[in-house]
Amino acid sequence: MSGQRLLQVKDLEVRFPIREGLIRERTVAEVRAVDGVSFEVAKGEILGLVGESGCGKSTVARAITRVVKPTHGSIEFDGHDLAKAEGEELHALRRRVQMIFQDPYASLNPRMTVGAIIQEPADIYKVGTTAERRARVSELLGLVGLDPRFADRYPHEFSGGQRQRIGVARALALNPDLVVADEPVSALDVSVQAQILNLLAELRQQLGLAYLFIAHDLSVVRHISDRTAVMYLGKIVEVAPSIELNAAPLHPYSIALLSAVPIPDPAIEKKRKRIILKGDVPSPTNPPSGCGFQTRCWLKEKLGNPERCSTESPVLRETSSGHQVACHFPEKA
Amino acid sequence: MSAGHLLTVSDLTVRFRSHGEAVYAVNGVSFDLDAGETLGVAGESGCGKSVTNLAILGLLPKPAGRVEAGSVQLSGRELTTLREEELRKVRGSEIAMIFQDPMTSLNPVLRIEEQLIETIRAHRDVTVQAARERAIELLVAVGVANPESRLRSYPHEFSGGMRQRVMIAMALALEPRILIADEPTTALDVTIQAQVLDLLRRLTAERGTATILVTHDLGVLAGMADRINVMYAGKVIESGTTEELFAHPRHPYTVGLLRSIPRLDGEAGGKLVPIEGRPPDLIAEPVGCSFYARCAWRQERCALEAPALVQIDGGTQPIVTTGAGATHVAACFNPVAQAEVAEGRPAAGRR
Repeated sequence: MSGQRLLQVKDLEVRFPIREGLIRERTVAEVRAVDGVSFEVAKGEILGLVGESGCGKSTVARAITRVVKPTHGSIEFDGHDLAKAEGEELHALRRRVQMIFQDPYASLNPRMTVGAIIQEPADIYKVGTTAERRARVSELLGLVGLDPRFADRYPHEFSGGQRQRIGVARALALNPDLVVADEPVSALDVSVQAQILNLLAELRQQLGLAYLFIAHDLSVVRHISDRTAVMYLGKIVEVAPSIELNAAPLHPYSIALLSAVPIPDPAIEKKRKRIILKGDVPSPTNPPSGCGFQTRCWLKEKLGNPERCSTESPVLRETSSGHQVACHFPEKA
Repeated sequence: MSAGHLLTVSDLTVRFRSHGEAVYAVNGVSFDLDAGETLGVAGESGCGKSVTNLAILGLLPKPAGRVEAGSVQLSGRELTTLREEELRKVRGSEIAMIFQDPMTSLNPVLRIEEQLIETIRAHRDVTVQAARERAIELLVAVGVANPESRLRSYPHEFSGGMRQRVMIAMALALEPRILIADEPTTALDVTIQAQVLDLLRRLTAERGTATILVTHDLGVLAGMADRINVMYAGKVIESGTTEELFAHPRHPYTVGLLRSIPRLDGEAGGKLVPIEGRPPDLIAEPVGCSFYARCAWRQERCALEAPALVQIDGGTQPIVTTGAGATHVAACFNPVAQAEVAEGRPAAGRR
């Protein structure tokens, strides 16, 4: 990371209790959705967060936007701890951290006009006069490439891509510093996906925004983000500049993940060596001992199952400038 | 001619009609398929790729959806006019299908065992015991560990990848000659997708099953398909061998698709070239080229006249529709030149 720090997440932990019993409710187990995650985002930077279903990436987003309260750790944002903020302080901070959602159909209220949807943040935070708020709606619609006259229409009149633009306009309404985008293009067709990716990149340039860009599609994340963090079973296993992560991944999970991404080129596909991981991701209710990846790790097998992998959880450590990996034997990969 | 081909779809036209309105879902699709080859079908939501497959299997939602013209012939036998009970014999044993969402295509209240045995015994005259043994064999083939105890499980007890394996086992249970896989890995994570694709590739190769693989993911097609049909607005707009189509795409839509996806091995920070606008809704009867409104290469003629799927470079060789020597065809009056492919837009002075 270079530049001024905007967000610093330290040892973030989010656990969800599993309760049983109707009258005397008791906690029988815990889902460790996020299990000690630390990372930073600089001003104007795009950090990509990738991982497969259930790895905890969306819960990280929800903790940072404080939709859920972390059970442990800190989320430092411009001198404030978002993890502990309440009341007035939280209200003020939320204004500066906004979210773009995956589903452009579910995330817009069908009974509100597009203008009312985009104006709502300003209404809540009592920014400007009514006339100023209206003018801002037109400005925002123009900014995301929509006709300002669309303000009087309803969401159902728009296509998925246009709806996602409306969602982006709403997220930008209050001039946030950080936008958390959780799978913002995965519900869109590829031709439309490219339109939204270009828009997000342009807005970053224009407005100096920082994004936490969460997606399962590594090609998309590599395309848009400066740095990429890979999550597995509630933990970050590797962080590196996006280009470096693709060229020289160190964690055996990142290596397998990258090798599994299909490349639209038959000549390359024919020659590629895939590492096919066995089995499924373990349950976050009952994670394996030691390294979370050890149950599927091809490197552990190759090294003759070293004991350390099943007894000691590897910490995220820097191997070269800006490249961190959580593996006991990254040099062997 | 259809002689010799395993499956011949010609000029297939499907409409959905309700309340006096029509949706022009499939507008004259033709292709052939031979044993042992994998035909990829690419296209975005609503391009008619799934409806084509449902029409082949006689699974269009009734009464709204109807094959209004064209034919589907399996080894010379017409399928579109078959009665339901005859079609039922074809489905599963001759043509089987795998859907995108394995949770909704398995019955949640029946054990895997009952579903597999039912499938086998519906088509084959075997005892329950023999069917059960066959079911175990199938689960072994698709890589399900402890098949005997897993047979007793319900669908919800399997993960997404495992469920899709069970679906594949069920689809292959009767050794169909054709397997239609409609977005079989779209709901799966990328490492699980790799497992399932690997399995599909191996099993269809071993059995010589002809496969129609439908997906929006061009990367998956690059690794799996021998030939590709690119569909747009209910038509095949370009077709050719996978190598040829990726190396020399000629239709502006195909070029647009290829240029709008970020690639893991692409140059960093490069700008994507999106296709502006959005696909037409198919409520109006298509006039001219359906891609006209979004096309950077369009000419006046394109608005009025629909281009036919023809050999672009005007060779005199007869058109080959299947196999490794399949002819590259595209439906375009003003095809993209090779020099324009990399940029994704027409060369200066072209328009």
